[in-house]
Amino acid sequence: MMFLTLIRQELLIHLMSARFFAAVIITLLLVVANTFVLIGAHEERLADYSQRDAVNQEGIATTPTYSVLKLKVQRPPNPLSLFSAGLETRFGNDINIAFDSVPALSNPIVDVRAAEEQWAFGSVPSLSSPGAPLGLNNLYLHLFSQIDLVFIFQVVLSLLSLLFAYDAIAGDWETGTLRLVLSHPVGRGKVLLAKYLAAMVCLLLPVLMSLLFALIQCSFARSLQFGTDDFLRIGGIVLTTIVYLSVFYLIGLLISTTTRRAATSLMLCMFVYVVLVLVYPNWSRFALNPVGDMRGEKRSADQQITQIREAADRERDRFLARSPLKGDPPVFRETEGISNLFSGAGYFLLGDFPRVNLELKNAVDPLAIHFRRYYAFAAPLQIQNAEKVGFVGQQLVEQTSVRQARWDERLMKLSPASLYTFATAAWAGTDLDGMTDYIQTAQAYRRTLINTFHDRDAFASLQWFAPNQQSPIDWSILPSFRFERADVGINAQRALPAVLLLLGTNLVLFMATFLIFMKIEV
Amino acid sequence: MIWHIVTRELFDHLTSLRFALTTLILVALMVTNAIVHLQTHPERVRKYSEKVNASQIELKSRTQLYALLQKGPGKLYKRPSPLTFIADGGDALLPDESVGGGFWRLYGLTYIWSMGVPRLNIGAISHLRPTATAIDWVFIITYLLSFIPLLFTFDALSGERERGTLRLCLANSISRSVLLVGKFLGSLITVLIAFYFAVLFNLTIISADSSTQLSGADWGRMGFIVLIASCYAGIFIAVGLIISAVTRESRLSLVVLLLIWVTVVVFMPSTLGTLSTKWMPPVQTHHQFQETTAAATDQIHSNFLNKRQALIERRQSAETLQEEAAKIDTSELEIQQELVSKDMEIRERLSRQYLAAQSAQVLRARQITRCSPAAMVQYALESMAGTGFNRHLQFLEHCHLHIRQFRDFIVEMDRADPESLHFIGISKGMSKKPVSPEAIPVFEDQLTFQDTLNPALVDMLLLILLLGVSLSGAFLVFLRSEI
Repeated sequence: MMFLTLIRQELLIHLMSARFFAAVIITLLLVVANTFVLIGAHEERLADYSQRDAVNQEGIATTPTYSVLKLKVQRPPNPLSLFSAGLETRFGNDINIAFDSVPALSNPIVDVRAAEEQWAFGSVPSLSSPGAPLGLNNLYLHLFSQIDLVFIFQVVLSLLSLLFAYDAIAGDWETGTLRLVLSHPVGRGKVLLAKYLAAMVCLLLPVLMSLLFALIQCSFARSLQFGTDDFLRIGGIVLTTIVYLSVFYLIGLLISTTTRRAATSLMLCMFVYVVLVLVYPNWSRFALNPVGDMRGEKRSADQQITQIREAADRERDRFLARSPLKGDPPVFRETEGISNLFSGAGYFLLGDFPRVNLELKNAVDPLAIHFRRYYAFAAPLQIQNAEKVGFVGQQLVEQTSVRQARWDERLMKLSPASLYTFATAAWAGTDLDGMTDYIQTAQAYRRTLINTFHDRDAFASLQWFAPNQQSPIDWSILPSFRFERADVGINAQRALPAVLLLLGTNLVLFMATFLIFMKIEV
Repeated sequence: MIWHIVTRELFDHLTSLRFALTTLILVALMVTNAIVHLQTHPERVRKYSEKVNASQIELKSRTQLYALLQKGPGKLYKRPSPLTFIADGGDALLPDESVGGGFWRLYGLTYIWSMGVPRLNIGAISHLRPTATAIDWVFIITYLLSFIPLLFTFDALSGERERGTLRLCLANSISRSVLLVGKFLGSLITVLIAFYFAVLFNLTIISADSSTQLSGADWGRMGFIVLIASCYAGIFIAVGLIISAVTRESRLSLVVLLLIWVTVVVFMPSTLGTLSTKWMPPVQTHHQFQETTAAATDQIHSNFLNKRQALIERRQSAETLQEEAAKIDTSELEIQQELVSKDMEIRERLSRQYLAAQSAQVLRARQITRCSPAAMVQYALESMAGTGFNRHLQFLEHCHLHIRQFRDFIVEMDRADPESLHFIGISKGMSKKPVSPEAIPVFEDQLTFQDTLNPALVDMLLLILLLGVSLSGAFLVFLRSEI
């Protein structure tokens, strides 16, 4: 009974206070203004997405041969980036799919050969990594940082929770109300719990209100459509927000119980806030470089790739020795019938020699059969090669970029504010794992593409390298690309470690506060 | 009397917990800043000089005038500022080298180098590492020198009013304005003591290192930067005093101040920047830009092909006449020169237009974010430190000047040779005399003190104005408030 009275009293004190009112107003204003900006940005990304898609489709439709097919696939913009932008808005979007390059998260391989031996065997098998991010025609506008809704909660509401907490005990102690309260038949634990519960209810209010406002704004924008799964993900984000705010409230409560004066407690709270929310996440990423020098790994990967390429070159030379197409690829130039390549009629890609279109006079051209044999041999070799290079390259990416990103994450996670950022990004699917999913989908798509080529026996066909004006390639055979974001369950699994850490912090802080509060003199 | 108040306030503040915490956090950040700068800056300078040397050697290896014109002045590089530790300015994203454009061949003719649209280093944002702001002076000043003043002033008047000491104080023969000035100076000096202390640490570490050499002008710039920072802290102290004078409770005063701080310092610079672009006319996408350029150059090329066709016909009809043939040869060179130079000009003009549209957008967005004093400080510091967007524009301007100078040099060398046919841009029509490598103009990307000060002046004046306004606001509010 007494417990409920306490909760009610605390609730009233908070809800009636001017600080609560001011904070709610500001949060709502910020949320509304930023949602407006974010919806605009999302629409821009959608427009860019469909424009790029149209360009890609057009490019495919006019492609004359199989080998020069420049296929790009795209990740549709994620509507949940409104809540947590994560990597979504700045990580590259479209990725080249080709038979001789494997999609990867990033491309750390410096191509030494490309510059020196531009005429060497075929296009150099390599990695393809995502190109420019969607949206923002004017890349200079990236100078202005983007803010997501989670950031507002992270900065403003954590401040509010500290402001609720700093005088919860110290203030009552100073004014003497603590003594009065404890003179009633109520345990100290219950007093603490009542304060905690009341504050959490009050903190939940601005979160839910701003969520409501944001969703109302979203419903006006036709471009944003949330499915059931998305609402579950948003639910996950709200839960994480509560756990996060609770951490800050408990930090405030702990400081409040350990200090005797509200003024001291306030100063400590403010500095803890500045350090945890503003300074540490930036500081750790700026000052610490835990992975250090990665040139060694790069060098060894470069060596491995060179070996793969040399082996492939030898194999090709062996084939060419038995073929009337003469020796080294540059000699292709002297081969009869190739000279019209340079008259500007066909494709002419530097370092891409065997992919060049030939203007064959007729299909029974004496050279045609040899070229067909050559490509029937060379294209699968290039695919095999690309996969080998892709394997080495992906390992290198794992060892360098991904490892570095993971370490940055781990170090940043020492601050609950960053834990919160990463947990919500995991819920929204905009984290590193979400991007890895995308790359994996692209890799799977490339394999389907190659299978389609195999099915049509494209490598051995004339249309692999020579266009046929009479019957252009029917590109509708291309499999369509669809990137589905991971399941809610998987999102939850990825968010779980960070959420558990936040919960653990809560528990430790609560226990510590409880123990100290039991012992202090009133 | 006023100094009495100031010293009392100072003593109160200097012995407080908040002063200790302030000093600690400022020193820690400044030391980190200095250490990271010492680790990264030498590498930056080394890379720059390597690249510049390589480009110089390549340039000097060309002895033919035509080769010089066709390949252009080589890559031009932006000189890294020794004051990067003060303002990072998003330099990682901004292009630091000039880019050539063109690349075509037509009947033995080829393009001549034109300055293209410099590429942004998109890798600076689209990497896998989590985003974070660099801990430069801009970060330390804009975030902390606004937050800390609020902590020193939120209870300056409301707290004293709560305790009743304000009434006591004013019962003496002290005017309210004197009290206010005393409070203002007391808090400002305290905050600045902590800040200057941290700055001293930072500069000691940086100047102790031999690889960074700061010139006299750099120290002058630093003086201005410290002034800007002090002015900024003053604004927030005045704002703190205003809110503290209007509110009854110091708790409420703190909440209001913190919310103002969050809005103005944390959110306004980025939200307003993105928000303002919504109402601006859209710029071309890169794809559209490429298409317009291609269309324009195609036009020129097809004009050339038509003229060439006409010449061929003329030649066939007048094959026997010696005079006529010579005339046709000259007019062939003429149309060739026209093609090459028009192609170069249109490319350069379109790239400049494209760049100008992009920069106009950024500049306008920056204009609007100037509502927040944090943005003013950021832009002023970037200009003073020679980083950021203004510096980028200056670099491009330097490149343009250099290219003009470079082309003038070639034209003059060609004119000096009597054997040359003076068809600039055509291999056959230009002087064959070798050029001495020493004579080729060298690109200088030097910033004078004026270059850095001028763009910063607007922001500095705005800051001073804001300080004046907020201080007089504090006076008005305090003179009229009930004690």
